[in-house]
Amino acid sequence: MINSILLVDDEDLFHIVFDDVCSLLNITLSLETCYSSDEAEEKFINWYANENNKPPCAFIDLNIIGSSFDGIELIKKVNTQYGNNIVIGIISSSVDSIEIEKAKSVGAMFWIVKSDNLEPRLEKFYQDFPKYQNKTKEFTVYK
Amino acid sequence: MKLSTDSENLLIEISVQKKIYLEGNLLKILDTDNENFRTYLNKSIELDDENRKKRITLSKQIQDRNIELELKQSQLEQKQNENNKLLEDLNNALFLAEKAKLEALNEVSVLQTKNQFELIGTIVKIALCVIVGVGIIVTSMYVFAMSKDSTETTLIGNTWSNLFGILLTNSFSIIGTIMGVKYATEQEK
Repeated sequence: MINSILLVDDEDLFHIVFDDVCSLLNITLSLETCYSSDEAEEKFINWYANENNKPPCAFIDLNIIGSSFDGIELIKKVNTQYGNNIVIGIISSSVDSIEIEKAKSVGAMFWIVKSDNLEPRLEKFYQDFPKYQNKTKEFTVYK
Repeated sequence: MKLSTDSENLLIEISVQKKIYLEGNLLKILDTDNENFRTYLNKSIELDDENRKKRITLSKQIQDRNIELELKQSQLEQKQNENNKLLEDLNNALFLAEKAKLEALNEVSVLQTKNQFELIGTIVKIALCVIVGVGIIVTSMYVFAMSKDSTETTLIGNTWSNLFGILLTNSFSIIGTIMGVKYATEQEK
């Protein structure tokens, strides 16, 4: 089981769904949520200074309403300014290949398509999670 | 993580009396050696999972409805935009039609003015021809009378003088009228 997961998404309902799915699939029992990339950046800045309670995994939405920058920019900041060392990727309803390539280029490790059938994708991701931690897994899109 | 026997028994008692069970992820980290509490924990986890499944289904339904609503709203906005565009096109067409109407009216007015000027020109030419003609005829008669040393020379001379005065006055009057009309028309333009 993953110690804790950070979810950055502007949608309340998705927080509930994600929390329940993670609990049912025993992926994690501790889910931390943010509604904007700015809020998430604050957290990463704090974790950069003190790594206590830093989650080993983060799911970032692509377009986060109410944020000054998008999910790809947040991943870029985390990987280049705030210490990296976290399994981080995008969770989005978009399957835009250009955006996927952009995410890959800034160091996103996965892309999960957010839709009704989320459970099997998260299950598959969970199986691959140790490989992401070992950095032996290539960038993967879970469709 | 294990609870004390008293706590375990208390939780079991609450579940029997009030049908209330522990909920949440805490259940997944609790452990016990007590067989009854193990059963209680399994039952609680089962109920918690059921609740989560219901919540997921409900949340997904709400998400789907939200997406549907957003789609409908987007379609409505699109239709609204189309209507606005149609209205704008209609207004433009109306404006163009109004402009064309004004231009047509203006052209008609110009045509009318042109016709009026042509008519005035014709009248003036005829009037001048008549004046010049009368002048020439009377002058010829006067010259003829003087050359023949006619007894009517004095009468014709007076007539010529009067007629010439009247013709000159009328000529200047006509010219004055034409200049006045022309000046007034140019002022209006």
